[in-house]
Amino acid sequence: MNRQKAIDLVEKALPAGEDPFDILKISRAAMEEVGKRFATGEFFLSELIYSAEVFKAVCAILEPGLVAKRNSDETQGEVVIGTPKGDVHDLGKNLMVTLMRAHGFTVYDIGVDVPPENLVKEVKRRKASILALSALITPAFVSMREAIDLLIEEGLRKKTFVIIGGGVTTDFARKEIGADAQTMDPAEAIRLCRQHLKGSEKTVRL
Amino acid sequence: MRGKMIQETMSRQERFEAAVSLEKPDRIPVMPLMTAFAVRSQGMTQGTAWRDPDMGFKAMLDTFNDLGGFDRLYKPNLFWPMIGGRFCSTPIRVLIPGRQLPEDALNQIDERVLISRDDYDKLATLGWNAFWDEHYEKMTGGRKMSYVAATQNQLLDLYKEEVTIYQDQDIHPLFGAYVDSSMMAFSMARTLTEFTMDLYEVPEKVKSAMDASCDDLIQNALDVVALTKIPVVFIVLERGSGFYYRTDIFEHFEWPYLRRYVDAFISEGLTPWFHLDTDWSLNLPYFREFPKGKCIADLDGTTDIFRAKEILGGHMCISGDVQASLLTLGRPHQVEAYCRRLIDVVGRDGGFILTTGCECPIDARFENVKAMVDTAKNYRGKN
Repeated sequence: MNRQKAIDLVEKALPAGEDPFDILKISRAAMEEVGKRFATGEFFLSELIYSAEVFKAVCAILEPGLVAKRNSDETQGEVVIGTPKGDVHDLGKNLMVTLMRAHGFTVYDIGVDVPPENLVKEVKRRKASILALSALITPAFVSMREAIDLLIEEGLRKKTFVIIGGGVTTDFARKEIGADAQTMDPAEAIRLCRQHLKGSEKTVRL
Repeated sequence: MRGKMIQETMSRQERFEAAVSLEKPDRIPVMPLMTAFAVRSQGMTQGTAWRDPDMGFKAMLDTFNDLGGFDRLYKPNLFWPMIGGRFCSTPIRVLIPGRQLPEDALNQIDERVLISRDDYDKLATLGWNAFWDEHYEKMTGGRKMSYVAATQNQLLDLYKEEVTIYQDQDIHPLFGAYVDSSMMAFSMARTLTEFTMDLYEVPEKVKSAMDASCDDLIQNALDVVALTKIPVVFIVLERGSGFYYRTDIFEHFEWPYLRRYVDAFISEGLTPWFHLDTDWSLNLPYFREFPKGKCIADLDGTTDIFRAKEILGGHMCISGDVQASLLTLGRPHQVEAYCRRLIDVVGRDGGFILTTGCECPIDARFENVKAMVDTAKNYRGKN
């Protein structure tokens, strides 16, 4: 859908009395559909980027109404996401933040160049079960590994699913670092996180 | 490291040329694309080398020698050569160690919106060079183009000087100029996200701006090569690949301009080096349309290089693709095993240069890079 068309529809629907949560649900369903088409190869990354921007624009309009009724929101799970220390790139991370939110996750984005201790502190503070790390350059590997070591020290490793992604990551890097999953594919990242939550018997909280 | 050194019967230059023209060289040519790695290998901080070009140059030369020498040197120093006052690529902001970044950090690109959607119309009217002449000062909040031009001319003079020193020692810097592809240039000027939105929402504006910019970008690269006299043009591609976009977008916004680049460069006797970051699997069949034995497809480890050999083998030289994660986190025997596989499969019947997948990472283990270089020198391959 064209971005402006989506914005116009939402701007007309709200004054007409539509519940912002219903619109959010429809938008999320649309994003699910985009994710499915991406997984089959029908859609490309550019279509994920485009739809993520449309979703962001719609959410910005819905935000005041959503805030007023926040308690009735539902979450698929809490995710802490960041680009680890040594790397300031944020394109991949930002795309993942929007897509994860669109797929119902509660996402805490702690930015770029984040020291390992801050990553772990945030996981602890948010009681997040997923730590997602994005990287474009290799110095981030050291920080990823340190973050995982800190999770172990804090007794949080078993409770935390660590997923890495971004240009420089590989399955080889995942094994060396000790992360649970690696992917370059945003839709796959969402699938893996959901699979983890399902596997760890964490129920979707209402 | 297993095996003993292959008896060399070609010079470094001959070996490189043989690979490009799809002949079988005496051994596989090898080249780590190193910059920051060389600086760290010499125990100096990145900031030191950025502040003092002599130190950057020394780091490059000393690391080249410490690795036992190899067939082509990616760059003589840390900077890129550009022509004064004009740009072969989008004038992006680079964060420099010891200035905007910690003293020993890797330099990084600070990708920001540099032009607005409205600027496409100006680009369509003015072309690439005249647009930046006008826009640069505004964009940087008053940094004069004349200052940039003077700095660039100094760097270009330094580049030429350093190239000569290297060539006197039979060390061959890789390229005479670099230039962004059409989609790369515009994506970096708008950011990946905004550029993607533009492609869907105002495709005609993008196309008109690209039409008006292509000749300038080609000419800028030719002007630099005329000064450096190294007949290889490094074309930076990444943002137009099938990793991001469907092929109809590639066909419309990248391919026609890339063809113009290649026609212009080859007609001037230059070799286009396609630096293909991200996954180009979907696009590689198009590259068979380029003249046989005249170009290089340089892969970064994301494209399946073995599949690429099936598509481009016998038509275009391939370079790649020892992955950054392997060089940083792996061990020499793992690097050697991967390089042997590359030599066996991608190097079969020639047309292959063993390189790092994109740049050699700053924190690659020295012994891993050495293993890569030594494997090319010691391992003949199964065929």
